[in-house]
Parts: sequence; C-alpha cells; structure tokens
Amino acid sequence: MKRFVFVSAATVMGIALVLVFVFLGKQTSGPISGALDALGNKIIEVEQDYLLSQREPIRSKELAWFQPYRHNIELMKNPDTIFLGVYENNYLQSFDKIINLDESLKSTLPLIQIYTAWGDKDREKFPAIYAKTIYDLGSMPIITWEPWLNDFDREKHNLHAVADPNVAGMSTVARGDYDFYIEEWAHEIAAFEHNIFIRFGHEMNDPYRYPWGPQNNEPKDFVAAWQHVVNKFRELGVDNVIWIWAPQPAYLRYAEYYPGDEYVDWIGVGTLNYGTVASWSKWWTFKDIYGNYYDWLDMLDKPMMITEMGCLRVGGNREEWFRNALTDLPAKYPRLKAIILFNDDDDKTTLNKSLNWSIINDTSTCEVIRQTIKDTW
Amino acid sequence: MRTKQDRSDELWKFWEAQEVTKTGRFFFLILVIAGVISIVRFFDWWFHPNHVASLPLFVILSLITWYGLLRLILIWINYLGIKKPKRAHAEDGLKVAIFTTSSPGEPLSMFDKTLEACANIIYPHTTYLLDDTQDPAFKEVAEKHGAVWLELVGLPGAKAGKVNKALQMIDEDFVLIMDPDHIPFPNFLDEVLGYFKDERVGFVQVAQTYYNQYRSFTARGAAEQTYTFYGPTMMGMYGYGTSVAIGANCTFRKKALDSIGGHGIGLAEDLITSIRLHAAGWKSVFNPVVVSRGLVPEDFGSFCKQQLKWSRGVFEILFSELPRLSKTLSLWQLISYFAISTYYLVGVTIFLYVAIPFMYFWGGWLPAKMDFGEFLVNGTPIIVIALLVYLYVQRWLSHPISERGLHWRGMVLKFATWPVFFLGALLAVVNVEIPYIPTAKKAVKGLSPYTRPLIFQVILFILTLGYVIYDRLYVASEGILILTSQKVWGMFAFAFVSIIMIIGGIYAAYESRDLEPEEPWKKIDLKKIKIRRKS
Repeated sequence: MKRFVFVSAATVMGIALVLVFVFLGKQTSGPISGALDALGNKIIEVEQDYLLSQREPIRSKELAWFQPYRHNIELMKNPDTIFLGVYENNYLQSFDKIINLDESLKSTLPLIQIYTAWGDKDREKFPAIYAKTIYDLGSMPIITWEPWLNDFDREKHNLHAVADPNVAGMSTVARGDYDFYIEEWAHEIAAFEHNIFIRFGHEMNDPYRYPWGPQNNEPKDFVAAWQHVVNKFRELGVDNVIWIWAPQPAYLRYAEYYPGDEYVDWIGVGTLNYGTVASWSKWWTFKDIYGNYYDWLDMLDKPMMITEMGCLRVGGNREEWFRNALTDLPAKYPRLKAIILFNDDDDKTTLNKSLNWSIINDTSTCEVIRQTIKDTW
Repeated sequence: MRTKQDRSDELWKFWEAQEVTKTGRFFFLILVIAGVISIVRFFDWWFHPNHVASLPLFVILSLITWYGLLRLILIWINYLGIKKPKRAHAEDGLKVAIFTTSSPGEPLSMFDKTLEACANIIYPHTTYLLDDTQDPAFKEVAEKHGAVWLELVGLPGAKAGKVNKALQMIDEDFVLIMDPDHIPFPNFLDEVLGYFKDERVGFVQVAQTYYNQYRSFTARGAAEQTYTFYGPTMMGMYGYGTSVAIGANCTFRKKALDSIGGHGIGLAEDLITSIRLHAAGWKSVFNPVVVSRGLVPEDFGSFCKQQLKWSRGVFEILFSELPRLSKTLSLWQLISYFAISTYYLVGVTIFLYVAIPFMYFWGGWLPAKMDFGEFLVNGTPIIVIALLVYLYVQRWLSHPISERGLHWRGMVLKFATWPVFFLGALLAVVNVEIPYIPTAKKAVKGLSPYTRPLIFQVILFILTLGYVIYDRLYVASEGILILTSQKVWGMFAFAFVSIIMIIGGIYAAYESRDLEPEEPWKKIDLKKIKIRRKS
C-alpha cells in the first residue's frame, strides 16, 4: 500500500512537472517562433549581403523595363501597358518552374501570384521570404489573401468560442476581432517596403466556394470587412498595397459587394475553363466567362486583371481557346491591364481528383500564346 | 568556462556514496515520470506524415533519435533501482589473496609502489605477483614487500591466463584481482569481505577511481566518462542484481571462479567473467566506496587504443556469451548485458548523425521537414529533464567533490572517438581481430593515427563549405536561392556542432604530443592516505 502511495504521488507530481513544461511551451512558442523568424531573416540578410549580392541578377535584368512600373505605385494603379503573370504551385520549393515558363513563353513575367489563407500557422503569416524572392527575381508579388476564420486559436486571441467562426464572419472582421492578425500583416508589408498587390476575399459573391461568401454573410458585411481592413492598413501608414476586388461575375449578383472607389484599385476576374471535366461545367470561352461582363465592370473605371487564366484539355481545343481569348485583346478590352496564368499542376481544390492546368511543358499552347500576343497586341 | 580546480589533495581519502533515502528516490521518480511523459509527447509530435521529406533518410534519422531516447529511458529505469549495500563487517580469519600481474615493458617503480600499498592493507592477506617479465628485479621487488612471486610465462590472454594458472596454485578462498597501476587503500579488504557472508555472493566490486585525471584534457575526459558509472549507474545495476566486475579492482570468491572454469579470456575479460558468474547463479555486490585509485590514459592515442579494445571486445558478449547464457540470466541481467554490449553502436549512430549534413550538401537529401520552433518546444523538456536527472544522480557519486560537474570533456571525447567505436563495431560484425595500429611515437608528426578520421572530417567540412559557397555564387538557379538560404545555413550550424566536438578531439591529440611522460605513482605518499569514515 505504501508503495502504491509512493508511486502515485510521484506520478501526480511528474505529470504536474510535465504540465509546467507544456504551459511554458505554449507561452514561449510564440516568442520562440518570433525569435527563430528573426534569426531566419537575419541569415537570409547576411547571406544576401556577403554572398549573393555578388551574383549577376539575371531575371532582374531581363525585367529592367518593369522597374519603373513596380516602384511607382500610382503608375501601377493606372498602367499604360499590359502585364503578364503567373501562379505556379511549386513555388514553395523553388521558383525554377516559373523561370521555365519565362523561357517557354520567351517572355519574363513581371507579376507572380501566391495564395495565403488567414490563420495562426506559420504559412499563414505574411510570406516575407517568397515576397522577397519574387522581388529579387525582378517581379512584383500578388497575394491572394483568403479570410478563412476557422484556423485561429480562439482562446489565445480572446475570441468568442463559436461552432463555426465563418458564419457571419465578415461582421466580426469588421468590428475588429481579427485586428491582431491584420495589423501583423500590415507591419510585415510595411517592412517589405516594396509595392505589392493584394486580392482580398476573392469570389465573395459565390455562395458555394468560400466561407466568406453569401451563404455566411450579408453583402454589406463583406463591404464593411473590406473597408475595415483597408482602413487599418492606412491607419498604420502602410501605403505600398494595391487592392484587387475580384468578384465571380458568373454569379450575376456582384454589384452589391463592391466596397467603393476609394477602397478598390483594380478589378480582378478569374477565367478558368474547366471544360467538360465535371457535370456542372461546359467548354466556356473567354468571352463567356469574362467578355460578357466587361461592360458593367468597365463602369467602375478601374484597371482590370484576369487573376486566373487557365484552360483544361477536356472537351475542347486548348490552343484554340487561348488564341481566341488573346487575339486583339487590348482592342476588345482596353481596360484589361494584366493577365495571370494559372499554372497549377496539382489542383485539388474543386474536384476530388487532381487537375493539371500547367502549360509549362505544353509547347504548342505556349507558342500560341506567344504568337498571338506578338501578332495582335 | 570555470576551470575545475585540481582536486588532487582530496583524492587520497576514503570516501563513499551518499545513502539512498526515500525522499531522494521520490524526487528522482518524479523526474523520471516527467521525462518519460515528455518523451511520449515528443514521439507523438515526431511521427507525422508531413514531417517526412525523404522516407529512407527519415527512417534513419528516426532510428538514431529513438535508439538514443530508448537508451536514455533505460538509463533512467536503471537509476530507479539505485541501492547501496548496508555496511557489512568482514569476519575474522578469511583467507584472502591479492593478485597483480606484470608484463614485459611495465615500469618497475610502479610495482614497487603498488606492492607496498598492498602490504599496507590491514586485513590479513597474501599478495601474489603474477610475473612474466623474466626480470629478476621483479622478483626482488615482490619479496621486498612480502609478496609471493609466481613466474607464469607463456600463458594466453593479457591477464586471464596468468590468473587462471595462479588460481590453481593457491588455497585462499577469496581473490582480489588488481591492475598494477591501482594503489589500494589500507582498508580495501575491510570494505569488501563482509559481503561474502552471503553464500551466494560471487564477486564484490568497488568504485574505480583515478589519480592522474588532471594531467591532460584526455585524462580529464576519460575520467569524466566513468564517474557516473561508478556511482549511480552501478548502484542501480546492483539494485537490479546485475552489477558487473571490473578487471581493475574486483574481489572474487574462488569457488565462484572455479564454477565457471576460471576467469574469462578476451578483450573484455572482466565483462565476460561477470556474465558467466551471473548466469551460473552467483550474486554480485557493488559497494560505492573509494578504496583504490589507478591511472586513466593520459594521451589521446592510448585512450583510443583502449576504447577500440573495449568496443571490439564488448560485442563478444552480444554475439558469443548472451545467446548461450540467456536462459539462466534474470530479465534485468539480460537487459543490462544487452544494453552494455550494444553501447558501442553509438559509433554508428554518431556516424549517421555526422553524415546527414553532408548528404544534404552533396546529394540534396533532406531527411525531415520539421519546424525548428516546434522541435524546440517539444524536445527541450526532454533535454532539460535529462540534464536534471544527470545532475540529480550526482549526489550518489562515489567521490562527488572531484567528480561533480557537467562532464563536457567526457562528452567531447566520446563524440570525437566515434571512428574508433565504428571500427570496433565493424570488426565485431565481420568477426575480425583488431589490426595492429602503431603507438603515438611511431605515428606521423606525433599525432596519433586515431586523429586521421577526425582531420578528414574537418577537411571535408571545409571543402563542403567551399563547394556550397561556390555553388550559391555561380551555379544555383535564382529560383531557389533565398528559399534555401535558411536550410543551407541551418544545416551548416548542425554540422558545425559536430565539428566543434571533433576539434576538441584533435586538441586532445595535439596536447598529447607535448605530454611529458611522467611516473605519477612516484609522487604518492602512501602514509598520507586517510581511511577514517565520517560517521
């Protein structure tokens, strides 16, 4: 019996000791990851200064023509030329594939897009390293910033415990619940110093796709959230952001989600042709999914960006599709000032299977794109 | 870093480890439980599919890490058994022999001192000098101190052959087998013989301690590696009935040795004798007292030679002794001997650990994708608790005043001798004898040949650094530069830790070049040995 008491007492105190460590761990994990981030940035900085600055910046040189644009935010808000860009999903490991695409298209792409969701994780912080890499490669980053609200530690940030934080989520963003996160990003972006695009809460009028959509929020709440975010940045003196408002025009009701002229710099539209890969999709041309909405969007008097341009091979001819889309584009759509190719080779976000949008190795399509632009723009 | 003062003045006093109190055990158990839970939590964090970068490398990394953590748990469990034997007074009239062996090339003056010390041992005994030097001076020095001189030439094994022959020639019941470099205190036998009252006790071991550890970095490090073993570790093993014999100063019951066919022969003779005695049902006692002091290797070359001998020899327990003796060993004995005989696999694990950064730099292979911050949060409790345990059990060292500390020299030396352990393990697996390796005097520039793999490692590191810098400056694509910056330099930091240890080893070897060969026993004044107990 005595032995039982001895062991039990020791066990209880042993568990208590572990709990002390767990508590300390929780308390310090924030500061620790902060310190490690700072250390990591220092490493990059030091290597840059002492080693990498000796290198010949190849891609940067190729984009010498783009430098005056990306360093002039007013010019980027009202550009006099059309920019090409790309989203390539393997960027997390390497930007080499993007460099390959540059070669395939025989054109170094000035805009590079990456996607980041809201949340507590490391990958949900401002992607400083990737933004810096994009900048060093001569390009300008576009960040699609997705306000998922379910990936936060609610206790840690003093948020009310709710079953689904995305329900009526936009109003909570508007009232300031997530300011801790927004402000962190604002500071990081200010520290980044160079101009960037942010596409916030895209396809906000699509009731099926994203949790910030109309199934969870009123349009006015989305607008309030948008305005709150932009105001926060401005309050903190962060002035290097170009805001892209990107509705999904196919869902017809999008006007009521417009945050207002002072809050929006560019209009974005995604034009992904899924072909006949699913029961709900057809072979839609560029005109079907963008051209038909051009006139209304034109009234907003803002430069436009095709934020995701892609075409699957199922149900039609990809080369034809691009040729039709790009022929005489500046003449047909004078407000269209940027096109971002959607180059995801492993897209699992829409269907259960993986879709391959990539054109890097599709020489015929790349040739069509290159030739059409060369001949008709 | 605070330099430990030379505690030589404290060494020649009788000392014993602290008693094991219930409170001591209680706090220790708390630490162990907290440690095990922390390891379980770490296990839970470690094995996550998205931590894997390259599966084969991740498996290797996991094997190294969890092998180490498992051994750590084993060490803790061993400490839980910590036990100090109650004082047992030696009966009068026991017939005791002391054996010490001499071989050609050993210094006569050392025997002069040792035999004099043996003569000073209070309990009545007969000292035997098992001599094969064929040098009449040795006969003289034996007779000078009243020891019996036995000429035993041409017998196998360094020591064991002579011992076994001598066992047949004596009629004493108990034999203390002592290395000639050990100087026993006068009360040696009084601290040992009482335990033989229990008929089942086959051998009694005391702490093995040194008096020349302050002479060099190698000596300090080598000694530090043994402190915990001759304190809490052996006390734990005693608690589980598996404390082993150490050839330097173990006392045997003659009947026990006879029952197993004599002392074991081989590279790790004492361990072989131990396991055979345990398998034959004999019990062992470990008395954590300081009653003799000997010599630890002072130069890097000799140390490596000793480690090579042990790392090769100890595997014989695993391959030759354990399989046939396993049926009669107790569970704890099985576990203990298995753990001891696989100890030198540490050479293989350190090799893999050292190889990982090089595999990354030259092959681009990364074993794991773990967030370093998470690793710290999950792993630090284990490190802290392991350190607390290590420091806590130091209260049970046999001679805390000179032995307490972080033992960093021991760790550096252990890391820097990984090539020796690796070679020992390799030779054991292919069942080949140790090849002849020249001593320091014959080696190039006086640096021991055992430093060659270390120097090679440092050169490889520098070459790799140069290659990586060249690659990042001229070759690597712009698309991955910044993305790999942290990984690359993080890996270098990882590799650099190893290099620091290796440089420590090279320093030990370098220091050994200038070591004046001394005869440290000459300075020892036997009359100054204090044997009074505190209580």
